[in-house]
Amino acid sequence: MRRDLELIRNETVKVWKKKRFAVIVLILLALVPVFVYAQMKIAQSSQGKYTDWRAELRQRIADNNNALTSDRIPEEWKKWRVALVQQLQYYLDRDVNPNTPNAVRFTNTFLQNAVGLFIPLMVLAVASDIVSSERAGGTIKMLLTRPVRRWRVLASKLVTLTMYVSLILVTTAAVSYLVSGLVFGYGGWREPVFVGFRLNGSDMDTSGVHAVTQGAYMLMQLGLVWFSAMTVAVIAFMVSVLVRSTAASLVTMMAAVISGSILANMASSWHSAKYLFNVNLDLSVYLQGSPPPIEGMTLGFSLVVLAVWAAAAIAVSFAVFTRQDILA
Amino acid sequence: MKRKKDRLWPILGTVCLLCTTLLLFGFGWALKDAWAPSPGLALPSPTHSAPQSGGEWTSLPEIKAIAIGDSLTRGVGDVAGKGYVEDSLAQLSDSLGKPVRLNGNLAVSGLEAAGLDELLDGKAMQDAVAGADLVLLTIGGNDLFRASQQAGGSIAEGGGIDIELAKRRLPANEDKLKAVFAKLRSLNPNVRIAYVSLYNPFYELAPLRAPIASILADWNGSAAKLAEADGNMVVVPTVDLFQAQSARYLSSDHFHPNGAGYARIAVRVAQALN
Repeated sequence: MRRDLELIRNETVKVWKKKRFAVIVLILLALVPVFVYAQMKIAQSSQGKYTDWRAELRQRIADNNNALTSDRIPEEWKKWRVALVQQLQYYLDRDVNPNTPNAVRFTNTFLQNAVGLFIPLMVLAVASDIVSSERAGGTIKMLLTRPVRRWRVLASKLVTLTMYVSLILVTTAAVSYLVSGLVFGYGGWREPVFVGFRLNGSDMDTSGVHAVTQGAYMLMQLGLVWFSAMTVAVIAFMVSVLVRSTAASLVTMMAAVISGSILANMASSWHSAKYLFNVNLDLSVYLQGSPPPIEGMTLGFSLVVLAVWAAAAIAVSFAVFTRQDILA
Repeated sequence: MKRKKDRLWPILGTVCLLCTTLLLFGFGWALKDAWAPSPGLALPSPTHSAPQSGGEWTSLPEIKAIAIGDSLTRGVGDVAGKGYVEDSLAQLSDSLGKPVRLNGNLAVSGLEAAGLDELLDGKAMQDAVAGADLVLLTIGGNDLFRASQQAGGSIAEGGGIDIELAKRRLPANEDKLKAVFAKLRSLNPNVRIAYVSLYNPFYELAPLRAPIASILADWNGSAAKLAEADGNMVVVPTVDLFQAQSARYLSSDHFHPNGAGYARIAVRVAQALN
């Protein structure tokens, strides 16, 4: 046990020394202000137009209803709009403003939009070279000549990866909260959000809808984002074991993640695509109650698909790593 | 050097562990909330009711208007997508010498009177009407023309419009209009209502001209009677605007007005209101 802890410590410090995490923080500090500025512009332009958030919401509902009357818009868009209209109506009927500007709301929206691409890419910065860099640098021989079983070495790397994924997610949320708070104010933790919208065909089932605080919503969303980020990390870990060069493993994983976000937008009629891990990454749609990319996907389904992919990736990583010849 | 390294690991290790625990907790909570939700946050019951508008327009610093109804209010057919609403309010603002603010164009294309009646039962619409000083309204075109169109015909050529059916349904449709007016009035006793009446989009089609004209005369006449009985409602005539050279003022679908047609309606609406 002590020896395992030593291994994990060694790995964690090694990743830290490579300054990967520092780069991620720098990227966040550069990008989040850009999004905050864009959001501020949107808020300003709608403030001049409407006296009251209710009037703005009414207009949005009417505009979406009009778009729905056109025959030319695709079926998936219709479904998405119907869901949106019914949600907005629900908020309006209960006199809850779904768009109050504050840092917690901004962070939640940011995480929602980041889960498909931004967060996986940042996770890949650590995950893609955690094994392959040892190979590229030749240090793997040093590592494996120690009197430690190979699987323990790999397990320590996996634990390290998990810790960094968690650290990256919490840092993302924290940076987003701290930066946007400068503009929108740091309040909003206790404001209500409705969750539990369920789509039934083209109709919204609101029987399970209940209110949670925005703080709770953020925590739940972070938990779900963590699960999908871990899946990406573990698959990248496997690729990193299989592929010798860091660049190759990074490109492979980026291609997989990006193609997932493209497929999610266009493959709604290709039903078996729902078994691909990269289509299931956006778990926050279930929390929001918007339609999933492919019909028939539910939270449980997506979690199982991701878990199966992750388990397979771990199995392959260990099987290969413990048997492979190390040539250098 | 050695001491710095020693401090890094305890801090980094602890922070990472805390983050992981927090996220696992969040994940567990999300699962529990999805499958076994607790009753949820108690919300204050919606106490908000829009401030009732009222009083003479002369005493108001600003006129709040809303627009409801069908595609004519939406502006369908106008390439610029404007319709008559914005222009008529701008002209009204000029002649009144005070700002007129559009508090939402809530019209929905294809709406029939019964649909509007249903929408007016929703809290959103009720608040909108209750808080307005002026309601601009078009409705009925879809009841009279779309609903009596048999499948297969092209509406542009007046195809498939069953005159007999339209005539038979006329009394029922007029009752629906009456119900809409009554509901608007009950939602806001003080609001001024401008109903833009119907024109004949098929004027150039000789066989349809006379029968449709008689249906429209009946419909617009009954609207005018309702408005007189109400006292704070105007019916804006548009029939004459789309008779001579109607092709110049109708859009390419031969049913909705084009930009120039809407501009003429806008002038009429502004005049009728002041």
